[in-house]
Amino acid sequence: MGKLLIYIKRNLVFFLLVANTLALTAQKEQVNAAARYLQQKSLDSAKIAIEKAILDNKTSTQGNTWYLRGFIYKSIYNTQEKEQKYSSARIQALESFKHAYEIDTSKQAIQESIKNIKYLATTLYNDAAASLDSMDYKTALEVFDTFKKYYSLVDTSAVNNKQTDIKFLQALASVYTQLFDLDKKVNVEFLSRAKNTYNKVLTMDPNNIFANYNMGILYYNQAVNLINQLDYGTDIRSLSDVQDNSIKLFKESLPFLEKAYALDPKRKETLYGLSGIYYSLNEMDKSNLFKQRLEEMKEK
Amino acid sequence: MKKQIILFSLLFFISWTADNSSQSEEANAKIKSIYIYNFTKYIEWPDAYKQGNFVIGVVGTNNSLMRELNKMASLKMVGNQKIEIVNTSANELAKCNIVYLLSENAAQLSEIINNSKNTSTLIVADKAGAALKGAGINFVVIENKQTIEINKANIEKYKLKISATLVELAIQVK
Repeated sequence: MGKLLIYIKRNLVFFLLVANTLALTAQKEQVNAAARYLQQKSLDSAKIAIEKAILDNKTSTQGNTWYLRGFIYKSIYNTQEKEQKYSSARIQALESFKHAYEIDTSKQAIQESIKNIKYLATTLYNDAAASLDSMDYKTALEVFDTFKKYYSLVDTSAVNNKQTDIKFLQALASVYTQLFDLDKKVNVEFLSRAKNTYNKVLTMDPNNIFANYNMGILYYNQAVNLINQLDYGTDIRSLSDVQDNSIKLFKESLPFLEKAYALDPKRKETLYGLSGIYYSLNEMDKSNLFKQRLEEMKEK
Repeated sequence: MKKQIILFSLLFFISWTADNSSQSEEANAKIKSIYIYNFTKYIEWPDAYKQGNFVIGVVGTNNSLMRELNKMASLKMVGNQKIEIVNTSANELAKCNIVYLLSENAAQLSEIINNSKNTSTLIVADKAGAALKGAGINFVVIENKQTIEINKANIEKYKLKISATLVELAIQVK
């Protein structure tokens, strides 16, 4: 909270300079009033005044008006809607800073708008992450899309955006996997969602070890589950069909785990996985080879 | 952005990091258990073997298999008979409806055959060539798939009747 107050004070210095200039004309009375209310922390009154100001033909074309509006809504978000993942004040603030950024090309205005958009976008990113933490993937997806919409305005670096997408998608795929694991019969759609999401990661980053490993394990678990779900009274013909399907899945799992192994030959989980797949494919020599590598690692 | 990266990173490894091999062993053992239960449906034992428990003797050590067989025994019956799983040995063979010789103990096949004379025990093995050496049924792997070989003569000489359906579903060895 202390940091927040310092932040508001620091931004207010910039804003008050702006407001003094605007106050020179009668049309800017609403802007001036909004600034005063903001200084007095009367945010509701500040909001009413700034909404009137953006309806005025002259003040609405000033970048400073929009910057002030952004600052008022940012303050409302910080003081009243911080816990709301769909905070309308945050969106209003972002839209205002975006508008200010578009119409006021002065260096200081651009810098201030960028700084504020980055700050608010970062809160969106945090909310998307928190939503995933609580398995609320729908909110996470929506909030993350909003984050991207605004963050891409101020950080156009493709590398940064790709890395951010990858991290989010990996976490999202993990949530889908957990939801599937909660009830494999009811939540079957989450298995394909998880696979699709890991595929997106691998399209962006084919050497992503976590996506390769997790994708392999998804197929592996699916294969094992097919067998585990069988009743002991299953007839031999049906058993044969299930074996065919599980072998297909084990084989689909293999290239992902082989890739994960190539990327990090010392990762134990991958060695366990490969040993397990080859065991399930009844290729015992290969299974034992990976077991032996695990043993060798334990000895070191 | 550091704080957010930490939040996401927590989720990366959730997918599963357990010992995958043991899951594979359980799955493999389950397939064999299902086969063995199927043998009880397609093979008929003489009346003397329809009394008391239906005994499946295992020669060798395989914890996953024993767990699966015991689970099967707790859930299924053979007619009115309860299924009993016992660890037995080739030289002191218990009275079994089925004796399953694990691959590591395949060398004991001839001893089992000797000790099974005048019994009605179905000998099941798990080693290439075992059906030619006296086993009635032998587990084999064909193109990664667990399947079975049947030597009908090796079954019938123990006064067991095998259904044509099971013979059709297996690889026949003579």
